[in-house]
Amino acid sequence: MIIVRAPARISFVGGGTDLPAFYTQSPGCVISTAINKYSYAVVNRQPLAHGKVSARYSTAESAGHSRELKNNRIREALLHFGIEHDVDVTTFSDIPINSGLGASSSFSVALMKALLLLQGKEADQREVAELASHLEINLVKDPIGKQDQYAAAFGGMKVFRFNPDHSVDVEPVYLDYKKQSALEGHIQLFYTGIARLASSVLAEQSANAQKKFSTFKEMADLVPEFRAKLLAGDFRGLGTLLHAGWLKKKTLASNISNSVIDDFYAAGMDAGAWGGKVLGAGGGGCVMFLTPNGRKLAVQSAAAAVAKKHNLENFIEIPVRFVQSGVEVLLGHDQDNVPHLA
Amino acid sequence: METYIKNFCEKVVDALRKIPKNEIAKAINIIQAAYERNGRIYIFGNGGSLAIATHWVSDFNKTVFSHHLDKSTRRFQAIRLPSTESELTAWANDIGYDMVFAGPLKNYLQESDVVIAISSSGNSLNIVKAVELAKARHIPVIGLSGFDGGKLNELADAKVLVSTKKGEYEVVESVHGTILHLLTRYFGDYFDHMAKQQS
Repeated sequence: MIIVRAPARISFVGGGTDLPAFYTQSPGCVISTAINKYSYAVVNRQPLAHGKVSARYSTAESAGHSRELKNNRIREALLHFGIEHDVDVTTFSDIPINSGLGASSSFSVALMKALLLLQGKEADQREVAELASHLEINLVKDPIGKQDQYAAAFGGMKVFRFNPDHSVDVEPVYLDYKKQSALEGHIQLFYTGIARLASSVLAEQSANAQKKFSTFKEMADLVPEFRAKLLAGDFRGLGTLLHAGWLKKKTLASNISNSVIDDFYAAGMDAGAWGGKVLGAGGGGCVMFLTPNGRKLAVQSAAAAVAKKHNLENFIEIPVRFVQSGVEVLLGHDQDNVPHLA
Repeated sequence: METYIKNFCEKVVDALRKIPKNEIAKAINIIQAAYERNGRIYIFGNGGSLAIATHWVSDFNKTVFSHHLDKSTRRFQAIRLPSTESELTAWANDIGYDMVFAGPLKNYLQESDVVIAISSSGNSLNIVKAVELAKARHIPVIGLSGFDGGKLNELADAKVLVSTKKGEYEVVESVHGTILHLLTRYFGDYFDHMAKQQS
């Protein structure tokens, strides 16, 4: 059995500039951090399964050939490697699906790494990030960018630069534990309870890339400033930048925000947050605030009140820690490859 | 005499000033990631470097959790390779000195682990062989080298090169000791900080 995990992420500024519609014309740039919420891919060879393949995720399915599986990612990943049957694929996730924290890409990253291992192949973080991007963008045909796959594969606090030639530069941001835990202490992350699909929002954003070119450019340009304030420990300044980034992002597509999201955001800001944003492509998912220490309880109850008003039963605060780890193998033994155990 | 002492100290201070801070930060992040996934740290070197590795392992294992050993169920293990003199001499005698690190490492190494290799020249064949083994399995390698860094600095993920003239072993090893103490202190302080926050 092979168990691989990859972290979800919080993206701070620049999200959306990783779409090829933009970065093929002008370099995209995103700053994000991996968090201690993981997606897991568990892969097991089943030579005694009578030629069956099975997949377990929010539901379970079984088929005679991987091309018959309904789950897009698992099906296309297996077909990519020419794995037709005699294998089980199971997924676990620490956070709700479509929460805007990049969990579906963390799963793709973990899955591709696990399937590589199953075949006795090694790959580094960049290769896994590219493979997962290929899976999601070219095979599953999600109209998404590459920031989540890279964030999941590399882990840590990073600046990603998406170059017009499709290459990606990865630059770590080195924070010591004091700054890191201080920043963690200011972050409040709320899952709104509205599951959103990134693809519809991102499709409109891509279509608008020409029209909104200067806004995309301004968003990418916020990244170096954010990085500098981060290193200086200017958390209030970071809040102000998040706010600026969110206002720009809202103009990129009609469905990035909606009245419920606007309610959440206004409530948090009124309760004293320095700034914030909606995580992921928008339209739902998580709302994040950077909040001064004395105002955290106020922001918490303001957000809970909005959730109650809109009957969002799945609303929950998600406590986060930043992690350095990216895609990682927790168990890498395929019993068939161990002669004395076979 | 005073001039001699002063000259030596200045060489060490000069080397210390030039240490690659970003690469040390990278090394800290690599070790942090290993902790997050319950991985282990393997460290090795020849001669004085082996002594430094042994010193570091005893400090690290003893002190990172020293203030809250009872509270924390999580452990963080650093292991010097080979872990016994018997293993060292067995590999040297039976196979050859080239394999004294790569041989034991092959037995221990799992996907979640990390490696710290110490070599002043960066070119000791047994070190290079062990690092190549780790790299082939995509295990992150922290390389502590000196002089011009040699092959170790080329191969390592975190390239902690103490840049000196060739042959300045004493200077390089002194600075390696300082850097390893820094790592121990960082994680000790970090775990203390987290423990305080939780209490």
